[in-house]
Amino acid sequence: MTVAVHGVGTSHFGRQPHRDLVALAADAVQEAFADAGGDTIDAVWVGTVFGPPGVAQRVLRAMGVTGIPVVTVENACASGTTAFAEAHEAVRTGRYGRVLALGLEQMSTAFAGAITPEPTDPEGRSGLALPALYAMAAARYLHLGMATPEQLAAVSVKNHAHALHNPRAQYSGRHTVAEVLASRMIADPLTLLQCCPTSDGAAAAVLAPATGGGREVAVRGVALRSGAPWNHRSPHVWGHDLVQRTAADAFAAAEIHDATDVDVAEVHDAFTIGEIVTTEALGFVAPGEGGKAAAAGVTALGGALPVNPSGGLLSRGHPLGATGLAQLAEIVWQLRGEAGGRQVEGARLGLVETMGGGVSVLDGNSCVVAVLEAP
Amino acid sequence: MIHPSTVDPRPRVDQGSDGRFRVAGVRCPSCGEVAAFDWPRCPACRSAVEPAFFGPDGTVWSSTVVRIPVPGRTPPYALAYVDLDDGPRVLAQVTGDGAPIGGRVRLAPPSPDGDVTVEVLR
Repeated sequence: MTVAVHGVGTSHFGRQPHRDLVALAADAVQEAFADAGGDTIDAVWVGTVFGPPGVAQRVLRAMGVTGIPVVTVENACASGTTAFAEAHEAVRTGRYGRVLALGLEQMSTAFAGAITPEPTDPEGRSGLALPALYAMAAARYLHLGMATPEQLAAVSVKNHAHALHNPRAQYSGRHTVAEVLASRMIADPLTLLQCCPTSDGAAAAVLAPATGGGREVAVRGVALRSGAPWNHRSPHVWGHDLVQRTAADAFAAAEIHDATDVDVAEVHDAFTIGEIVTTEALGFVAPGEGGKAAAAGVTALGGALPVNPSGGLLSRGHPLGATGLAQLAEIVWQLRGEAGGRQVEGARLGLVETMGGGVSVLDGNSCVVAVLEAP
Repeated sequence: MIHPSTVDPRPRVDQGSDGRFRVAGVRCPSCGEVAAFDWPRCPACRSAVEPAFFGPDGTVWSSTVVRIPVPGRTPPYALAYVDLDDGPRVLAQVTGDGAPIGGRVRLAPPSPDGDVTVEVLR
């Protein structure tokens, strides 16, 4: 059975401590129901990382979504796409007819700044803030000559410019490479404008069997994996291998033989180096070419394979549990031709990739890759 | 009443009779995987593992300097992923001014707070 996304919705993204998760989720769910042409659903999967116990039922009761199965999942930054992957599987196997996937997170009321490293994890306890994990990947790339500081910065310049056309984005702007590199150092070599912000938001999607409707975006394939040991034997930086393996699964499910058949992608750019490594791991560009592609405009709107037209995590924002479904909403709008000033003309095949990390030894907690097709 | 966990998740560093410091962990006799932790099974292949010690010397895979506030720590501080000779890759604090990628380092006494620590070999 082919499953389709029948409707999507999101809140605004940004620091919104004056709103609660009930209000943010209501924005996303109401828009998704309206987009799907109805509020009939048989089950809900909810992705959140720091949401308090009971948060799913607490926000859903305000929408009148009560009495049906509700499952809450946590897979770090990939929690929202994990909810999507599980909702997809539930529909594909016929377990439920129509399923809501919801992602939500309120970071501004949980952290004063960056996410606090998890003290029960060896590396969290050792002071490894997440920017430092990505910073070491970036430093390694610079050391090996696989990227330059200017190419790292080019990802930030590109995604902030993309977000100029996204009214829901937390940040946007016409920055220069020099401005990005001159912003405050967070963890060498990553500067502030190369790191995603603290964000609040929610995003949702309604999934059901494909019926050939003119606004349905078909799910060609979706895959989820958790990380394997990453150590001195891995030739790649942290995260690369997990993205590559998950993408291989998703492309096989979608029967895609050439990654560059993808027309538009939303990928996990929590930090600039993340987008560079991910475009290489997905097979969009050759190893070591991700930075060059960003600097040359290949992955910009108007380029051969636009990446993160929404502004990405760097600019749209990164409310952890909501991010995967925010990425999905962007790809759905792109494939329907509804993305306004950031539309990738004629996009037929779209890809979503989300990567969650924070558990030491593994090359990621979880990764989800989904391939979607235009109506 | 809350009982804070008294288990420290970080790798255990022991000083040998030769005065050198080594990380206590496990080695998998089936697949050769190593880990800097006293786990019951191999994280790669699920086989039973044997105790092993790693170090004292290694090579810096990558490093950074953290310049943002982290609870209980005073920035800036240097961190490195160090590939101990024969593995595994361990996260370590670096004494002094940071560690160049590819540089040789040696396990030093853990910090008073219990961090795995390396010093750069000149």
